[in-house]
Formats: sequence, structure tokens, C-alpha cells
Amino acid sequence: MTGFLDNVLNGLALGAVYALVALGFVVMFKASGVLNFAHGSLLLFGGYLIAVLHDDLGFAGALALAVLATAALAGALDRFLLQRGGLDEQSAHIQTIVTIGIDILLFTDLARRIGGDLLPLGDPWGDAVTELGPVTVADSRLAAIVVSTVVIGTVFALFRFTSWGLSLRAAAEDLEAAALMGVRLGRVRAGGWALAGALAALAAVFLASFPAPGLERTTGQIALHAFPAAILGGLASPVGALAGSLLIGLTEALVVGYQSELHVLGEGFGDVAPYAVMLLVLLVRPTGLFGGKGAARV
Amino acid sequence: MNTTPHRHRNRRRTTGSVLAGALALLLAVSGCSSKAEGGDENGDAADGVRTGPGVSAETIKLGALTDLTGPYATLGKSIVQAQQMWADETNAKGGICDRKVEIVVKDHGYDVQKAVTAYADISPDVVALPQVIGSPVVAALLDDIERDGVLTFPQAWAASLLGKDAIQVLGTTYDVDMIAGVDFLTRTKGLEKGDTIGHVYFEGDYGANALEGSTWAAEKAGLKVVGQKIKATDTDLSAQVSALRKEGVKAVLISAGPAQTASLVGVAASRGLRVPVVSSAPGFAPQLMKTPAAPALAAMLNVVSAAPAVSSDLPGVKAMVAAYRKKYPDSPVDSGVLSGYNAAQLMGADLKKACEAGGLTREDVVKAHRSQKNADTGLGTAQDFSDVDRPASVETYVLKPDAKAVGGVVNAEEARTAPGVEEYLSSR
Repeated sequence: MTGFLDNVLNGLALGAVYALVALGFVVMFKASGVLNFAHGSLLLFGGYLIAVLHDDLGFAGALALAVLATAALAGALDRFLLQRGGLDEQSAHIQTIVTIGIDILLFTDLARRIGGDLLPLGDPWGDAVTELGPVTVADSRLAAIVVSTVVIGTVFALFRFTSWGLSLRAAAEDLEAAALMGVRLGRVRAGGWALAGALAALAAVFLASFPAPGLERTTGQIALHAFPAAILGGLASPVGALAGSLLIGLTEALVVGYQSELHVLGEGFGDVAPYAVMLLVLLVRPTGLFGGKGAARV
Repeated sequence: MNTTPHRHRNRRRTTGSVLAGALALLLAVSGCSSKAEGGDENGDAADGVRTGPGVSAETIKLGALTDLTGPYATLGKSIVQAQQMWADETNAKGGICDRKVEIVVKDHGYDVQKAVTAYADISPDVVALPQVIGSPVVAALLDDIERDGVLTFPQAWAASLLGKDAIQVLGTTYDVDMIAGVDFLTRTKGLEKGDTIGHVYFEGDYGANALEGSTWAAEKAGLKVVGQKIKATDTDLSAQVSALRKEGVKAVLISAGPAQTASLVGVAASRGLRVPVVSSAPGFAPQLMKTPAAPALAAMLNVVSAAPAVSSDLPGVKAMVAAYRKKYPDSPVDSGVLSGYNAAQLMGADLKKACEAGGLTREDVVKAHRSQKNADTGLGTAQDFSDVDRPASVETYVLKPDAKAVGGVVNAEEARTAPGVEEYLSSR
């Protein structure tokens, strides 16, 4: 039973971190119709900034700067690069391909800088743990759950209660109508990208802190686990991204936790499990768990 | 009507010119490569020494296929610098066979395709390869290396690389290391018949070979092994630790990268799974002692390695470390420095022996290498290269992390041969 609770808590914490990334995918997709394949590299960029700055600025200062810088980078990439290709839905497909190129450039440079190093981010939790009844959980993971919940709540509130959120939702529903109603599509889009960038930098903290040993060149790739989460949630649905992330996090933790019982499925099934879950969900609900009309864009 | 034969003739002419062009290209390419191999192929130099590719009257060229931009960049840099230091020292003493030693370094960034291209690029110009980084790289080049007969020291230790005349795994193989790991656990950590141990291992040759050793040794000792296969991108091993704890493991073996070792030990300690952990040599790097997991690593981890710690008291190691620090004051001294320098010295010994026997062709070098039954560089244990099917050494050290020591580790046990290794090798 302890083992089960252990796995569930692991999974929830993992899911909370994935949710930050998946929500980024969703916000960018909602804002621009572009699937950002460079998201993992943006995350790595944010993490790298924290790693090199935390000695001088302290963790909080480094984090604040990294979040702002990553947001600025993501926003600028969209505003000054992708938007040049046009704002209509057709060019969104081309821009999706462009993000693959951006990813290669960004990743190659960051990987060159990081090399084989393992960079600590100087986060305040260290390897401290908390006993919750029979299970032990890392403080960094508890922090991940708390921070993700607060941040995701804030993002939902932004969507719901600000004029930017309204513009974004309007643009996602119907670009042309939104433009005619006076929505400044370019700004709304870039705003969405900036927000997603900020979320990615935040996610980097939790992906690189304990139980992981630090930021590595491959940390960005871990973010791709959030990809099936965003898709199975319905890609254009923030609530879906949240649910999808928790589902994927739980699946991963449980499959690895019960690997010996599941060995009929072959070793290393944990890596495939998120995609298997995604396929199962999409078979039953082709537009994803919470996908509505918005998913028609796919 | 009139146009058809015309067009036909035209096409024929095109075909002809394409053929001619291809022929010219072919000539140019073969011209290039024969030039690259040097005019003195299999000739005799003025001093009567037989020479082949990579050896002229003035220089001996060696090649290194390394990773300076990929995941093993730190290791690659250490090896390259250590081997360059050896070349400089050797040349200062007059070189080998009255020739200067030169190392041609190619970076492949751990990309197999780049590595294959790099090999094709430098192999005509070098006599041997004292450094090839990366198991997948070595695997992709196996056939080429065997065909060309280029004596190669791979920085990979899977038993599948044994049995090839031109390829020499230095020191022990991963399976032998893990047999020693199980022996260390039963001998010093009180593991008994019926206990369960975990083995967390990378997919691929490295992990598979290590698991082979641990499974064999565990069966002999009456232990049960629970395997957990992971990938290089897995850096949070919480779920694996939960699973191992559920199995009630009394100790854990790990054959992965440094990041995985740090996560495994850190998580296990924080979850109250305070059991001994034994890692294969590639699973540790000095940088780990700067992560939050450092105290747990110091308390729980041991590393099995064919090479001693760089902080060890061996005079040869001490002298090498001092020289390296003087030459590269800003570079960390890690196990790559030691293994790279050791490989270069062994290569130097082979070249000297080949020269004494009258030839420096690739064939001569491989022959000289295979005649070394007791190659001792003073940097660890002696190696026997005469049997291609056997690891060059079966003696292993046990190391222990120590944040204050050079290279982050100290020797915990001197080199010894684990009981059962001979039986294992003859049963394979």
C-alpha cells in the first residue's frame, strides 16, 4: 500500500510539472495555431540561465530573470520570426515546421555550452524530504505541486477575467471575426507565447531539481513527455492539458513502479506508456479528453 | 518525325558525358585517396623500418575519434588533453622510432554518422587509434576497423568488443566489474544467500553486459537480482527507487551515467532506502559531488573500476596528475585523464615494440600489441593483450566518493580479482 501511495504521489508531482509544460503548448497553440517544437529548448534556455546566474543573483533573482528572459525570447520569436509568415491558419502549419528549425539552433548552442555538465540550479529545497504519513516525498516535488497549482490557477484566471484572455479566446474561435472586432492579433499571439515561455522556465526548475541531479543537456527532452499530455487533453483546452498531464504523470510512475509485475509488456514499457495512453484516449475520443471545436485545427 | 532521332542522339550524348564525368570523378577520388595514404605505403623508410599508412620517415600519426561537443564532452576533453600531454612528453624525449608522434583529433559529438565520416576521413592517414569514444560509435565502426587492421583502443568496455584482433578493450569489461561489485557486497556489506539486490542499468550494450555479470555472480552467491532498465534521458529515478524498495532490496547495482547515479542515491537516501550502492565506472563523475546528492553519495556509493582513483598513491599516477595540473591548470582531473593517458602509454609501448621488430605497418603494430603479455604503465594493474577473447585485465579497484579528493574519489580497496571471475570467463 505504501508502494502504491508512493507511486501515486510521484505521479502527481510529475504530472504537476508536466502540466506547466503542457499548458505552454496549449496556450501557444490556442494563440497562434502553431505547435511549438522548440518548447523543450526554451525550457532548457530558462534552466540554463538559472544555473549560470544563481551564484551571483541568488536563486530568486536568477529565477525571476530567467522567467522574464525566456518569456521575452518566446514572445520575440513569435513576434519577429513566426508572425512574418502571416497570421492565418494556413501559415500556422508552416510556422510549426519553422519551430523545428528554431529548436535545432537553440538546442545546439545550449548543448554546446552545457556539454557533459550537470548544473545545479541552487534551488532552496535541496534534497530535503517530508514524511506524509507512511510515504516520503521530496520537498521540491511538494513545491512543484503547490507552485503548479497556483500558477495554473492564475493562468486560468487570466483567460477568464482579462481582456487579453478574452481576445485570445476570441482569436482561437475565429481569427477573422476577432480581427474585425478589433482584436490586435499580433500582440495577443506574442503575449501567449511569452506566457508559455515563462511557464517553461518555471518547469525547468522542477525538472532539474531533486530527485533529478541538476540541469543536463537532455532536460529539455523530458519536457516532450508533456506533449502526449497536451494532445490527449485536446490541445486547445487548458483544462485538458492539466488532466492529461496528471494522467501521463500517474501512468509513468505506476508503470515504472510496477515494472516487475508488468514485465509481460516488455522492459522499458514506462517510456512507451504515455504514448499508449494517448492512443487509447484518442481512439475513444478523437478530439482529446476536453477537445471541442478548437481541436478541428489539428 | 524529324525530331525523334535528333532528341535520341542528344540523349545519348548526355549519357556519354555523364559517364565521362563520373569516370573523371572516380579518377579524381581515387587519386585523392592514394595521395592521402602517402607514397610510402608498405615501403621501407631510409632507416630500414617497414612503414605503412600513417607513418613517414619523420612522423607517426595516431587518430582520435572523440566527443568534444556532445554528452561526453567533458570526458572527451580530458582524454584528448591527456593524450596530447603524452605525445608532447614523448616527443621531448626524442619520439618513438626516431619519429615524432602526432595525434589527429576528430570530434563526432557522439553522432554515429559523423563518426563514420570522420573515420573515413582520417583512417587512411593514421596507423592506430588510441581513442574512440562511444559504444554506438565503436559498434558502427567494428567492421571497418577490423578490415583496415587499425589497432584501436575504444573508450567502451562491453564484452561484445572482445575477440577482434585490432580492437583492444583496456582493463576489465562491464560484466567482470559487476561480478566484482557483487563480491564486494557479499564480502563487506553483509549480503547473504536469499537476499535481493537491484540492478538499474542503461539499455544497450553497456547495461546488458553489466547485467550479465551481476546475474551470474548473484546466482553463484544465492542472491536474487531485480533489474530496472532505464534510458540516458531518465534523470529522476523516484519510480525505480519505489519499485526497488517494494522488492526489499538489500543493495543496488547501477550501470548508467553520473546523472542517474546521483538521482538513484539521492532519492534512495531521502526515502529511507539506505542500502549500499555499487556503480560501474562510467556512472560516476567528480561533478556529482557538487549536487545536493553529495552527502548521500559519500555515505552509500562505491564504484568498481579497472583503474585506480586519480587521487591514489601510485607514483605513476601522482606524477601524471602533477604534470597534467601544471599543463592544464583550469581543467578538472577526472578518470578520463587517467584512462586517456594510460591508453596513450600502452599505444606508445606497442609502437616501440613494433619498431624494435623492424616494422611500423598496421599489421606490425597489431602483432606487437598482441605479443604484450604484461603491459604495465605504472598507472594501475598490468594488462595481458595476448588472448583476444579475454578482457585485458580482471583486477578491479573499489573506489569511494570523497568531495575533497582530486577527481572526487579515493581508493577504498586495492586491486584484486574477484573469486569466480575465472570460472565466469571460461563458462562464456
